Amino acid sequence: MTSAPITFGRPWRVAFHIICLALCLSVLVPMALVVGTAFKPANEIYDLSPWPSQPTLANFGRLFGETEFLLYMWNSLATTFLRVVAQLAIAILAAYAFARWHFTGSTLIFALTLGAMMIPHQLVMIPIYIMIAELGWFDTWAALIIPNLAMPFAVFLLRQHMMSFPKELLDAAEMDGAGPLTALWRIMLPNLGPALAALTIVLSIDCWNEYFWPMLVIDSPGARTVQLGIREFLEENFEDFGALMAGVTIASLPVLLVFFLLQRRIMETFVASGLKG
Amino acid sequence: MDGTTAVAAARPPVRAGRPRFRGLVPWLYLAPLLAPLILFVYWPLLHTAWLSLVRWNLQPGQATEFVGLANYAGVLESSLFADASWNSMIYVLAAIPLKVLLPLPVAVFLWSLGRAGGTYRTILFLPTLISFVIVAVVVGWMLNPIAGHVTALLSWLGMGFANPLATPDGAIITIIVLSAWKVFGFNVLLYLAGLASIRRDLIEAMRLDGASDWVILRRLIWPLLSPTTFFVLIATVIFSLQQVFTPIDILTEGGPENGTTNFFYMVYQLAFRTFDIGRGAAGTVLLFLLLLVITLLKLRVLEKRVHYQQ
Repeated sequence: MTSAPITFGRPWRVAFHIICLALCLSVLVPMALVVGTAFKPANEIYDLSPWPSQPTLANFGRLFGETEFLLYMWNSLATTFLRVVAQLAIAILAAYAFARWHFTGSTLIFALTLGAMMIPHQLVMIPIYIMIAELGWFDTWAALIIPNLAMPFAVFLLRQHMMSFPKELLDAAEMDGAGPLTALWRIMLPNLGPALAALTIVLSIDCWNEYFWPMLVIDSPGARTVQLGIREFLEENFEDFGALMAGVTIASLPVLLVFFLLQRRIMETFVASGLKG
Repeated sequence: MDGTTAVAAARPPVRAGRPRFRGLVPWLYLAPLLAPLILFVYWPLLHTAWLSLVRWNLQPGQATEFVGLANYAGVLESSLFADASWNSMIYVLAAIPLKVLLPLPVAVFLWSLGRAGGTYRTILFLPTLISFVIVAVVVGWMLNPIAGHVTALLSWLGMGFANPLATPDGAIITIIVLSAWKVFGFNVLLYLAGLASIRRDLIEAMRLDGASDWVILRRLIWPLLSPTTFFVLIATVIFSLQQVFTPIDILTEGGPENGTTNFFYMVYQLAFRTFDIGRGAAGTVLLFLLLLVITLLKLRVLEKRVHYQQ
């Protein structure tokens, strides 16, 4: 792997660098504009330059002081945490069953699990909406969490990792009298660390960024998530762009920070998942 | 899945890859997955199929009336369906050059850079992480006729500027561009994963035979990459129909004049804007069939061509 597989000629290289730079600028310039605007005083909001000449925290002050943004953050954070923990627990147990045992019906059940990957929310929204209405779950965390507990791609990914794990170690543990659950907990899971970390982050980002489902089942401000809150700002305080961009900055910050912690693995897991935010 | 079964059967029965298990234990491990899978995926699909045959406006007291296939006829004859079909086609056709073809040479270039391409790759990936709500809100802000930066920039350059979201053509172009921006880096990453699996010795061998870069690209890399390209194509087609739901809902709500609605937004409009549950469900069943055809096509082609197994 010493040399590059293909070495484009110089003119091509220059042309591609220009294209890539332009594409990167199309990503970075709007981001700089958003973050810059979040720190701009009111009289600079309409300036073309992204940099505030007199940076201020006033936008953040209004965001937290005059809106319920803190509550939205709490709703997003708490539901993301609860949902991802439950999704992981469910996926780990199922993946272990698929990886460890071959039993009557396992192929069919695995096919059904994979099949669910191609069913987007919009295909099941009507019956679940009716269900949630009957349960009286509108505007609750339960409506955000419970219909989304099964994560087929997480099961698939963990099963792949578990199947590459040496069976002898699990068999040895069971010969020593450990039950399958102990073997899973004490031997399998500690060895899945990096995969689990990346999966946790991808599931969390997916949940934090979600729009369609919360929009369907949440109406009152009390249960609003960050994403719903940002949309409301665009509709309600259409004038206060400083506070809006402060909200946009804060809503994106956790995702970007977490990403830079485990960059490479997260990109790999995203590729495996087919989730695209 | 069939592959693993075949492998397990082919091995000697002693110390098979996975022990055969008779009994309840595996089902205990699967129950927490199966319960939500049945309750929130498979049962709702069946329930939707039933609801597509009745007339109902979501009022709990209101009796449902069986109407047979009338809802399907209603959907198929509506102008909303005609607009959604046309727009869905536009979304998909625009996606192919922007999201499938353009990322490919960029990925090959980043691949040729090796480690040095990492910064480009990371920056291009960032839009994948940012929520579609935020992308749509920021675009809405920048295109705002009063305070938007695009407006200000163009008037600074001496060009008049009307808000593109106000016209059907401008609105759908805006959504196409922002969704291409969002998914571009992700597709580059998919291509890079495909490129990484190409064996270097094949390239070296061709080079020893005196093949130029262009010949290697055309005769070796393009054919070896075709399963990846196909995978990207299918993923992008589905993405281009489904994920644009968010920007449509935030920026245009399907308008102006149904100019941006597509199949996914149409079923939402039918069920939750006009509260015509029967037609919403009928549209959903039609959409399900469309996705099923796309998925089966994908499985058929990938089964023949891809050997991703690790």
